[in-house]
Amino acid sequence: MSLLQEEREIILGNEYVDDFDFAEVSEFVTNASKDLFISHHFSQKSKMLVQPRGGFPTYAQQYALYESFVDANVDVLPLTVDSNTRLNDYGTAKKMLRLSEENEMDMLNGYPLVTHGYRTTRKMITHFNKPVSLRHGTPDARLLIETAIASGIFEIEGGPITYLLPYSKNFPLDKALLYWKYVERVCADYSRLNLPINRESFGPLTATLVPPAITIVIQLLEMLLSLEEGVKSFSVSFAQQGSMNQDIVTGAVLRKLAKHYAAEIDCADAAIHLVYHQWMGAFPSNQDYAEQLINLSTVIASMVGADKIITKTREEATGIPTREANAKTVADTQYCLGILNGLPTIVDEQEEEILTLEVQAVMEAVFNDPADTLWRKVFNSIKNGTIDVPFSPHIINKNDMITIRDANKNIRIIERGNVPIPDRSYDYERAQCDLSKDTTGIVNDIIHDIGIMQ
Amino acid sequence: MKVVTGVVGNDIHVVANRLIDLSLQARGYDVCNLGVNTHLEEFFDAAVETGAEVLLISSLNGEAEGWSREVKLLKANYKTLDDLVMMIGGNLVVGSGNSEDIVARYKNYGFDLVCHQVDLNTGLDLLAAFLEERSQ
Repeated sequence: MSLLQEEREIILGNEYVDDFDFAEVSEFVTNASKDLFISHHFSQKSKMLVQPRGGFPTYAQQYALYESFVDANVDVLPLTVDSNTRLNDYGTAKKMLRLSEENEMDMLNGYPLVTHGYRTTRKMITHFNKPVSLRHGTPDARLLIETAIASGIFEIEGGPITYLLPYSKNFPLDKALLYWKYVERVCADYSRLNLPINRESFGPLTATLVPPAITIVIQLLEMLLSLEEGVKSFSVSFAQQGSMNQDIVTGAVLRKLAKHYAAEIDCADAAIHLVYHQWMGAFPSNQDYAEQLINLSTVIASMVGADKIITKTREEATGIPTREANAKTVADTQYCLGILNGLPTIVDEQEEEILTLEVQAVMEAVFNDPADTLWRKVFNSIKNGTIDVPFSPHIINKNDMITIRDANKNIRIIERGNVPIPDRSYDYERAQCDLSKDTTGIVNDIIHDIGIMQ
Repeated sequence: MKVVTGVVGNDIHVVANRLIDLSLQARGYDVCNLGVNTHLEEFFDAAVETGAEVLLISSLNGEAEGWSREVKLLKANYKTLDDLVMMIGGNLVVGSGNSEDIVARYKNYGFDLVCHQVDLNTGLDLLAAFLEERSQ
């Protein structure tokens, strides 16, 4: 038995798992409908795929949510997991699910997938016969991913960096990297049985003034960590940043460099997709304004040429959205996409060059780290601040980079910290900003720049 | 002057914490930032270790209420913290409440300076004035 299989048997021997049947799961994946694979929809693509977010505690609620989404002409269904399951606290998830079922009151902020188990969940997924995307935020997602694939969920979001640095203060990064290696291998192995399982990175990170260079570097590294384990379908992603031009430039550079670096490790045969998140920062509480913002995001996603868009709702400012509000966004976004015709092509060569230089310099610094494997190079690069994510709560993050918006609302790096931004790009970025202010003025600008859409 | 700061409780709201750090540094303080998700014992331990004169706790959405009730009890276990200036700021209650009542309540919990929904720079001006007055 391989070491991986030994580890899988330990993980699936968890007391909260009801008798995991490896052979039966492999047979299910081998014979699963092509429609369940988002990789199939990407390759047949005639339009941008629309995917909302959403997860409720009980089976009945999740089923009803999917019915509403299907009525709204959804392309990809979401399965958002509750926070207890995210933190591997399956005991609490189980208790809270029972309370939710018995009292008709939501005691969980998502669908406790491990607690429901794959036999139950698979019934729902195969009934709707649409691709489902797993949304979680888990540093140790081993059990969750096994349960998801066994349920018929063939797109797995996340990664060791993007699901850790925005969400955790002290979960060890090296452990997260190794736990995700397991996830990549399991996805790669199942991909050999039928169509590829798609992996998607979480580009929005902290959604707070993250400059495109940092977003792109992390997208590329998670892609490489995944492809080197044998994954054949991968989505890089980013969220609306606040300037349409910067989004278009980011999309172009990300797409170009993803192809380039995949080919560098002899993985040019892997399919790479681009995903765009509607605005992930603080939303206006005025619901009409929120819809305007969502609509604008859809227009920009089209300008960017995204393969998939992930939606928000008019209730974003107030908490977890209702089923109705969530379905409404799907219908609205589909309508908007349908009438967006004859879009112009915009190319900003100067901005693309500046950004490309930044990304290449940081990638080179990561590759030049003396460690022997990519995951160790990545670990060292985050630890020494070669990669620095603004507003990450994690203790390993350097927090020396400072960013603000320029007059056109582009996110600019005004303090690079230990990130090897080349002088030419750094001078250009700083030249776009008013640097005459003192720190108090800059802090006030940062507060304003974070709340730009409110 | 040394300041220990951080976000109390199981709270991961990092933005204000980062801005407090930057603003304190800009005003010339020597900052020890414990970051988000910090328990009271960690604050007091850090104050002892760094010899800080000010402890500035921040909080959003009411986490502080439950934790603050134990401030006096825990602080009494430390022998060298009697002169530590205790400050708390942010959104200090769940839901809404009368600001005067909230300030009085938190002073009773053992804080010298209480800033409920006060602008960051106004709060730091209050701290400067408090320190100035105390040194006279």
